[in-house]
Amino acid sequence: MNTTILTAYVLIWPVLSALVLVALVYGVLKDVRSARRNGEHLV
Amino acid sequence: MHQLSLTTVLLLLLCFYGFSFLMTLRIGKKEESADGYMTSNGAIGFGMSAASMTATWVWAASIYAAATSGFKYGVSGAIHYGFWGALMILFIYPFGRRFREVAPNAHTLAEIMHARHGRCSQMILAGSNVLGSVISLMVNFTAAGALVSMLSPLSFMQGVVIVAVGVLSYTLWSGFRASVLTDFAQLTAMILAVVIIVPFLFFTLGGTDIFVEGWHRLDAEQADFFSRQAWLEQGAPYFVAVLAYAIGNQTIAQRLFAVREDLIKPTFITATIGYGSIVIGMGMLGFLALLLGIVPVGGDLNNLVPGMAATYLPPVLICLFFILIIGSLSSTADSDLSALSSIVMADVYGKNLARGKPNPKVMVWIGRVTMVVATAMGVCFAYLRLDILSALVFVGALWGAIVFPVIISLYWDRVTNLAFTTAVLAAFFAFLLTRFSLVPLTGAIGLGAELIACVGAGVVIGLMGFGLLGKRAGLVLGAIAAVAALPTGLFGLREYPVLLSSLLAYGMSAIVCTGLSLRSNAKFDFDVIGERVTNYQTA
Repeated sequence: MNTTILTAYVLIWPVLSALVLVALVYGVLKDVRSARRNGEHLV
Repeated sequence: MHQLSLTTVLLLLLCFYGFSFLMTLRIGKKEESADGYMTSNGAIGFGMSAASMTATWVWAASIYAAATSGFKYGVSGAIHYGFWGALMILFIYPFGRRFREVAPNAHTLAEIMHARHGRCSQMILAGSNVLGSVISLMVNFTAAGALVSMLSPLSFMQGVVIVAVGVLSYTLWSGFRASVLTDFAQLTAMILAVVIIVPFLFFTLGGTDIFVEGWHRLDAEQADFFSRQAWLEQGAPYFVAVLAYAIGNQTIAQRLFAVREDLIKPTFITATIGYGSIVIGMGMLGFLALLLGIVPVGGDLNNLVPGMAATYLPPVLICLFFILIIGSLSSTADSDLSALSSIVMADVYGKNLARGKPNPKVMVWIGRVTMVVATAMGVCFAYLRLDILSALVFVGALWGAIVFPVIISLYWDRVTNLAFTTAVLAAFFAFLLTRFSLVPLTGAIGLGAELIACVGAGVVIGLMGFGLLGKRAGLVLGAIAAVAALPTGLFGLREYPVLLSSLLAYGMSAIVCTGLSLRSNAKFDFDVIGERVTNYQTA
């Protein structure tokens, strides 16, 4: 049992979730800009 | 254990559903298009699509079940739930590209089957989709009632009704478009909750000391990351089941038909990582509970995560946790409503009742009425508190029986309607016999079932290999997997009836479908599907 590895194992998932959130926010902002530029609905 | 006050919980629900409703007002049209109501414009961007895909597949049950798996199977438990669930999203994307290629204007998978085989195959798929979505709706409403009754003075049924009305209020008018738009906000709330709550609980409950002081509570299997027990009891059956979910559930197909075609791959990869990190992250709470010796309230493992939240989180974070669960179940429930409305609109009305002349305006209203009826059914079933697990197993098997016939029908031109239908019925019948022990799994019957189940293991791996790496790799990997499963499977799988029956459904459907198709000389022209499946607004 290595507590450092186990700690990383537990906490890596919130970090990954945060990274996904950043990617999604960036993606949605791009979608919004693109929709506005083309005069279309977002969905 | 803390409880939220009546005022707080009502305000939270009002804010959540009020905000969702206000969002949908921005996209609402007086005259919604029938196609938009089912799949938007078929060109949704990466951010919205990936967020919607992730939010739809993270439901309350997955959070509770991942934590339960972590609690029961220890260090690898959460992985054996979340990783395979995430893989399911990845699994469908290569096939999704094929679906879009043959039917760019499709709204449901059953619609494609109608164009490929005819009404019988279509209704098998549509029927299984409807059953699955109604059960999913019931599970989400039940989870809502349980959460509200645990964390507030409101009763179970009050929670069910408030959530049902809330979800219906913002989904009813714009259908799928409203579902996708609100998914992003709901997912943002969910991720923020995971990012804050998991580390908060970890450090509040002792940080690294949790491992030092609690490791003795784990038995040998729970302490082993490569636990055989965790794989055979949780990982493998779930792995097999979720692959079936990818094909059998209309909510994922609907998003597949809605995303811009060139963005399918990045959307599905992002959703895979998103789903995995959220669900495994919440599953880690179960692992921590095991290390800390926490016992779930009333011995019910579904109470584990809500109980931990109510006991160890401050009021502000309990509110965040409450929004996490309400967000997860609402995003799935609105997707189920959209899925059900699409199936009734396209497969029941569009392809059957309308007799070739569907009226788009009537279609939209049929979709709305379907949503109201489905919500009422979901509330009634939640009230009855049916055996959810049995229902899910039943539908999971039904979907396991259709995966191979559905996929192969879109690649192999010799598959006939007879081969499709017979394969699904034979596989489902074989499942029923073994899952509910209607025949003794001994002697030649037991050995035969295990042999076909080993073929089923080969089919599962083969399909994945085929989708991700191509035909030759799929055949080779499938053959290797089937042979590799024999030493463990023969005389061994009968000890694991859930896994055996699921694999049997795959194996039986593949054998019957392939056998009957080889006897046929029919050659289907796949270009016909695109001509037969068209947009309703311009039809």
